[in-house]
Amino acid sequence: MTDVRIPEADPFDAAADEQDGRLAGPPAAAPGGLGLAGWLRWAWRQLTSMRVALVLLFLLAVGSVPGSILPQQGTDAAGVQQYYAAHPALAPWLSRLGLFNVFGAPWFAAIYLLLFASLVGCVVPRTFRLVGSARALPPRAPRHLTRLPHSAEYSVALGPQDAVRVAGQVLAGHGFRLRGPADGGGSPDAAEPWVSAEKGYLREVGNLLFHLALLGVLVSVALGGLFGYKADRLLVQGSTFADTASDLDEFYPGRLVSAADLGPFTITLDSFEASYITSGSQRGQPSSFDAQVSYTAHPGGPVRSDQLEVNRPLSVDGAKVYLIGHGYAPEFRVTDGRGQVVYNGPTPFISGSSGNFLSEGVVKVPDAQPEQLGFTGIFVPTAVDVDGTLQSAFPAADNPVVSLIAYAGNLGENSGPAQSVYQLDTAGMHQLTANPQVLQVGQSLKLPNGQGTLTFTGYVPWVSLAITHDPGQIPALICGIAALGGLLLSFMMRRRRVFVRARAESGGGSTVRVGGLARTDASGGFEAEFASLADELRSVHRAAAAGGQADPEPDPQSEAEHRQHEGK
Amino acid sequence: MPINLALGHVSNDFMIAALLLYSLSVLAFAGDFAFGRPRRTQPTAVLRPAKAAAMAAVGAAGAGAASAIPASASPAAGAPAVNSGPPAGTPDSMPALAVPPLRAIRQAGRWVQAAMALAAAGVSAHTVAVVTRGLAVHRAPWGNMYEFVTALTCFAAIFFLFVMIRYRAWALGVFVMGAVVVALGLAETLIYTAAGDLVPALQSYWLSIHVTAMTVATGIFFVAAVLGCIYLAVDRYDRRVAAGKAAPGNGIVSRLPSIEQLDRLTYRTIVFGFPVWTFGVIAGAIWADQAWGRYWGWDPVETWAFITWVLYAAFLHARATAGWRGRRAHYVQLLGFASLMFNILVVQVFIAGLHSYAGVS
Amino acid sequence: MFRGKRRAVVLVAAACTGALLAVVLLAGWASGGNSGVSYLDGNTNAVLYATGHRPLAPDFTASTLTGSRLSLSSYRGRIVVLNFWGSWCVPCRAEAPTLAAVSGQYQRTGVAFLGVDVRDTTASAEAFEHNFGITYPSVSDSSSQITLAFTAVVPVSGTPTTLVIDRTGRIAAAVFGQTTYSELTAMLATVTGKAG
Repeated sequence: MTDVRIPEADPFDAAADEQDGRLAGPPAAAPGGLGLAGWLRWAWRQLTSMRVALVLLFLLAVGSVPGSILPQQGTDAAGVQQYYAAHPALAPWLSRLGLFNVFGAPWFAAIYLLLFASLVGCVVPRTFRLVGSARALPPRAPRHLTRLPHSAEYSVALGPQDAVRVAGQVLAGHGFRLRGPADGGGSPDAAEPWVSAEKGYLREVGNLLFHLALLGVLVSVALGGLFGYKADRLLVQGSTFADTASDLDEFYPGRLVSAADLGPFTITLDSFEASYITSGSQRGQPSSFDAQVSYTAHPGGPVRSDQLEVNRPLSVDGAKVYLIGHGYAPEFRVTDGRGQVVYNGPTPFISGSSGNFLSEGVVKVPDAQPEQLGFTGIFVPTAVDVDGTLQSAFPAADNPVVSLIAYAGNLGENSGPAQSVYQLDTAGMHQLTANPQVLQVGQSLKLPNGQGTLTFTGYVPWVSLAITHDPGQIPALICGIAALGGLLLSFMMRRRRVFVRARAESGGGSTVRVGGLARTDASGGFEAEFASLADELRSVHRAAAAGGQADPEPDPQSEAEHRQHEGK
Repeated sequence: MPINLALGHVSNDFMIAALLLYSLSVLAFAGDFAFGRPRRTQPTAVLRPAKAAAMAAVGAAGAGAASAIPASASPAAGAPAVNSGPPAGTPDSMPALAVPPLRAIRQAGRWVQAAMALAAAGVSAHTVAVVTRGLAVHRAPWGNMYEFVTALTCFAAIFFLFVMIRYRAWALGVFVMGAVVVALGLAETLIYTAAGDLVPALQSYWLSIHVTAMTVATGIFFVAAVLGCIYLAVDRYDRRVAAGKAAPGNGIVSRLPSIEQLDRLTYRTIVFGFPVWTFGVIAGAIWADQAWGRYWGWDPVETWAFITWVLYAAFLHARATAGWRGRRAHYVQLLGFASLMFNILVVQVFIAGLHSYAGVS
Repeated sequence: MFRGKRRAVVLVAAACTGALLAVVLLAGWASGGNSGVSYLDGNTNAVLYATGHRPLAPDFTASTLTGSRLSLSSYRGRIVVLNFWGSWCVPCRAEAPTLAAVSGQYQRTGVAFLGVDVRDTTASAEAFEHNFGITYPSVSDSSSQITLAFTAVVPVSGTPTTLVIDRTGRIAAAVFGQTTYSELTAMLATVTGKAG
């Protein structure tokens, strides 16, 4: 990528444009100061300069660092809470600076918006310039080719006109765009004909494509943020859910999305299986998990089945459904003081950090009489007793056990704010059992004072699903691939110019001078190409002279030479 | 599918063999410094232009070429040159052509020949080790930290072997291969993990694509980082010489490529690696969308991959900005590599996120 | 010449931005504002639909908590109060006494009350009804089909949601959230045309 902002510093263009005579300098300050327009123009020039772009890139990198070190509100709200608890004085200040939501913070947006403004301000004029030069001819050949960074000189027994013509054909064969003395004005120089050749325009195309594609990625991300949504749902085996706002656990719509935009599909979890490695150093690690689901894309539509796996989402109604995690839901049957069954079904328990799916959960029975009942406890899939504490030795349910503490009183559910189904507020309750009661499948816990009975009847698995819709996804991918293509193009191509002049010598031959220069990208490599090109030109010229006629076809042997050298 | 433990052992054996071969090649490169022919390396092996008379005389078979640096206009295959002869009296002035690499190696002396042979053998052994590991575990062999480091050093070594041959840069061999030895040695001793299965979240063909690209790119950036360190060391020496604080003509520096050549070589290395890294990020986004439902979520590893990308982009911009070329640009490049290392060693292991698959407890 | 081009670029960019802005604003504005809809006492969750602008309530047939089959169309000719609830849902529990009282009050006038039990088990649901003295039937929406069908017609966003369906089977009023005694009776008065 080259700096094009200051044309007078670029020898490539200066050497070529001396004839055109256009070297734009910075605007002179008006008498009496710059004025508002002048300042704005100055600010714009600064913004679109390489230096500021560099600074903004550094700021972007540095600004992303806190977003990876500190817990972020969007992905780890619990972590943010913990941070507040651990650093009560520091946390509010960090929050004010937006450090708990770095990537949505206004200052981060300012950085990348300025960067993109700088990008647009640089890329758009260059696009115009590229389009303008798309059909422009290479510049006229300079008079003194030996002053160019690469030059060669040799004699050949051909007339100058023929030599230049043959040279032109060779260069055209390599894909160079030509300009002879007959093109583009100027008097044809009969004494010393020349041909100019230029190649590598695609580099700038690739460069611009890359930067514009980055802009496209930004727009695609914005599209997703406006018109996309994310939702979560925990689904117990055997149950069904519909894609409606009321039936989803969490719903994060994009700015222009409402609940009415959700596709009307329903999904039933028919079965879920997880298998784990049973031996070796990786014992306990999951080796596979998959969920059998049946779904309808709209009410009354045909019922289809699918196997949902990690890395294999289900596409339905424009949304994608992902299998994110799983767990256990133990089943309980609670009979209250009147002898009525007031609770009977699976209760999702959530696995914590204890490992091997030791899960915690809560059972709330708000309609038990005479008092509301609540139970908190753990579900242990493969229970082992380690020094009096229950731990899980393996993630599969080989020896399932629950351990519960019972409460009675006021759950706080009859009024007030909504409660989490995974937490029990025991403020208005009294504990019924002194110690946690351990139950195996089929066993019951009898509550004191005839309050009722809880029976642990079994367990079923649950899965957690993520439902996402992102209309910006495919555009972002296309722009990403375009950016990669532009990058490769701009790195592989080099803009270079080759000039050939032939001066007649006494005796019917001519001295051929070849000169070349490459755009200053400081990557080198043109040296070898020029050397091989000069060698080929000389071989072709010598062959044409030896053939006795101005035979334009290059000698196959010198072609072979050339190819062999070029292969290095 | 059960792990093929036998192949796993084969892989370990070849890894040790590679380490030994690399170490010997480093010794041989160092031997070239101490005892080899004194010359400055030409990265593209463009030689001094020879006299036209000599070229015309060489003629058909290139026989009788001078034992010093012969200009070669005839192919080694021996086809006769088709010169029809220049008009008498006017010498041609042609830029000379590149010498074929094997001949260049031969001309560089015995130490370089030995070192290149050992390095090539080491690379072969290393490749066999990586491939057999993959066969042993029935998946691409970069699923945990140990596999990742062994694979990236393999790519770095392959890439640098290519660079040495293409640009005749064997003077840099002692440094880059030395770094490979250190990295591989640390991997073997500190983070070795026996062949094993992956958690289901990683069993996807996108694993091969995304992590392969990241591994290859890291290998390339590894080479660029070593070259950048060499650049900074030479630059510092030059500045000290200019300030009169050091004696000119340091033996090691005079054998290294010139500072402009070092700069160009580093630039071209990063130009090679940057698109691979970009592709790796895109492939990672595709994989993330398949596994977690969103193609970019500012996960810590994703964020640091982005930071690395931005810093290398800054390096590319710096080389086009007045005042930022040279030393400062290389600081940027090394900062980029540091962020890459931070990503692998710290973020993936210690910072919780969806990405914690390092397999290091 | 180059300055003229830059001006053209700026103008084009400004025009595009302006057009984009206009489209976005228009979309945001157009998504709100329907005619024929009014709110009870300014509460945007309590919606009244004027005659002629009432969405048709989708018919359904489902099992009640006691196991018998029931369809909405069998209520045609009567005014139906359809309440979406769950025993686990705190605001549903808070409004349950209101629903029990109003249902009893309007029983003689022929207004029917029907519940749709969402994400619940039969045991918990029956215990809830017994606890709060709910005597009107409820159907179990375990497959979420009823919720899905109604969401296509009115913005049901969760529980509780209470709909008042007129004699022709069209939704005349809706409360998206917890309702109160005065609110529910005012709605019924509007729809039936007489005070309870």
